[in-house]
Amino acid sequence: METLLLAWRNVWRNRRRTLITILAMSFSLMLIQAFHNLSFGVYAQMVDSGVRSGSGHIAVYRGDYALSRDDRLLWVMDEMGVMGVMGNLQTRITALDGVKAVLPRIYLPALAQSSRESRGILLTGIDPIAENGINPLLKQIDAPALIKSLDGRDALVGSRLLSELKLKVGNKFVVTAQGPEGQLVSELLRIRGLVKSGIREVDGSLVMVGRQRAALMTGQSEAIHELAVILENPDLEEKLLPLIGAMLPADSGLNAVSWELAMANLANAIKLDYASQKFIFLIIVLIVTIGVVNTLLMSVMERIREFGVILAVGASPARLRATVMTEALLLGAVSMLFGNLLGALATWYLVEIGIDLRDFIPETMEFGGVVFDPVMRAAWDINYMLQMSAYVLLLSVIASLYPAAKAARIAPAVAMRHH
Amino acid sequence: MPLISLNNLSKIYPLGNQQIVAVQELDLRIEAGEFAVLAGPSGSGKTTVLNIVGALDTPSTGRVRVDGCDYREMKPKALADFRLRRIGFIFQSYNLIPVLTAAENAEFTLMLQGVAPKARRAKISALFAELGIAGLEERRPNDLSGGQQQRVAIARAIAPEPAVILADEPTANLDSHTAEDLLQLMRRLNREKGTTFLFSSHDPLVIAHAERVISLRDGRLENDIRQEIG
Ligand SMILES: Nc1ncnc2c1ncn2[C@@H]1O[C@H](COP(=O)(O)OP(=O)(O)OP(=O)(O)O)[C@@H](O)[C@H]1O
Ligand SMILES: [Mg+2]
Repeated sequence: METLLLAWRNVWRNRRRTLITILAMSFSLMLIQAFHNLSFGVYAQMVDSGVRSGSGHIAVYRGDYALSRDDRLLWVMDEMGVMGVMGNLQTRITALDGVKAVLPRIYLPALAQSSRESRGILLTGIDPIAENGINPLLKQIDAPALIKSLDGRDALVGSRLLSELKLKVGNKFVVTAQGPEGQLVSELLRIRGLVKSGIREVDGSLVMVGRQRAALMTGQSEAIHELAVILENPDLEEKLLPLIGAMLPADSGLNAVSWELAMANLANAIKLDYASQKFIFLIIVLIVTIGVVNTLLMSVMERIREFGVILAVGASPARLRATVMTEALLLGAVSMLFGNLLGALATWYLVEIGIDLRDFIPETMEFGGVVFDPVMRAAWDINYMLQMSAYVLLLSVIASLYPAAKAARIAPAVAMRHH
Repeated sequence: MPLISLNNLSKIYPLGNQQIVAVQELDLRIEAGEFAVLAGPSGSGKTTVLNIVGALDTPSTGRVRVDGCDYREMKPKALADFRLRRIGFIFQSYNLIPVLTAAENAEFTLMLQGVAPKARRAKISALFAELGIAGLEERRPNDLSGGQQQRVAIARAIAPEPAVILADEPTANLDSHTAEDLLQLMRRLNREKGTTFLFSSHDPLVIAHAERVISLRDGRLENDIRQEIG
């Protein structure tokens, strides 16, 4: 108790230096927490929109479709279930706790032709009712412009593709793909609405129809490539992935994969982005730690004589070491509290108000193949904030090791001659 | 057995490729209850001897025994504990810890010994009254005069009831009037409590108050005189 009180008074001996050190530590903690929380929020939002338009948090594929995108890896969910398993797979996965939606999809590379132009496209067959409200690509489309049936001829077309084909909403066009025996199969589609995602590739090549209409071109109206499972909460992925995996018959060739695997581009882009951020964090931490070492060392060097007196009257070197480390710990504790306050305020602002990038960046914002909200918003990562707080304490103790050792090595006879 | 005995004590400081002989083949015995001063000109080795007696420094050769303990046989931790319990120190200046109050400074040695706060406070209050600094308990060292600071240092030194108090030029920064008071105070403590005092000083006033004057010159014993004082 006395050590703590003594250390506390010593900390405030040089008020200005202490305040500057505390400010540096707290601001760094705030910066790290706020920037992490911002990334945490933005990544979560990107992952969310990515999985909704992409593979889902968990995807069911046949074989290595996740990697090869080999369009022959079709499979069928019939009334009898998958390849003899009782019960419909979609229904059974939907019934799992924490599953929000299960979206069957088929993807066929094809050629779209208008009377004047032709373009290579990705014909995407979806379940429009299930996708609506989930898939962000459908979000800005007004209800009347949405497609409604699984086998209708209505199609949603990417905005750039539409203009490249020199077509308008309501026009018809022909889509040609390769049939099951290698023959060419064509379908006449009608443009119901347009998709303006902001992602160049999507807007330039997307044609969306009911999944049965697309599947008909393969000769099996129930064929799909992907079952995208959207979860209530991304954290459930770990728990649900094995559960869904276990539902797939061993001999079916089907497997369940996480979005990190199914959308490696997005996952890697996030990892890379976060790694560069971590590197900056590390530099901040390093600079601040050096500053703290400097402060502590100065405070020890100024007190050589005083430490000599303390040793002379009978304190052990270990006690001096403990004093210096306690001072550092107090410095760290105050910085931690203040830094957390600042970090929480900054995060609160970034959660509630966010950063509006529309003023800075025109048009679209794409990252790892996913469009993100131009208003970046943070999300609370309390675990991370607590972890960083603990690091502040740990770092201040680490920073005190050398100054404390220096204090403990003071020879009283020499120190007493110090003036 | 004498309280302090130095046998053939030498202290040599290496300085570059030179050697400075601070103390040379010194033999000295001091009995319990003495009130003695190490006198001599600047650089004669007074502080060095005092530091060695106080286990703050080690001799180059020779043997030190204080209160029955041979320092050569003790580890640093045991020496620190010995200083805490058996030796009191008073230095010339900046004796006190500036962030502690006068009472906390005086209690410091008792605190290191693990004495409970209440017992400490009671003992220090009594000592403050005895030393004429009652009422200054809550003052910080900066708000005390030089004489008051030295009294607080005496309280800190005497509180653990040590075998000997070592005082290195305790009056050097005081005016003669204050110095006189302080010396009489220490003399009284020496008489009433039987505490041994060993000073270092070239202050004639201190020398005049000492029962025994041990004069050093160039690290050697020059003179060892006992004198009667009032
Ligand atoms: N750490 C050291 N390194 C080298 N020489 C030293 C050291 N400490 C003391 N000395 C030398 O040892 C000699 C004795 O010094 P000491 O301080 O004991 O003398 P003193 O009698 O106390 O002098 P003063 O009256 O000035 O305090 C001096 O010549 C001094 O310069
Ligand atoms: Mg001296």
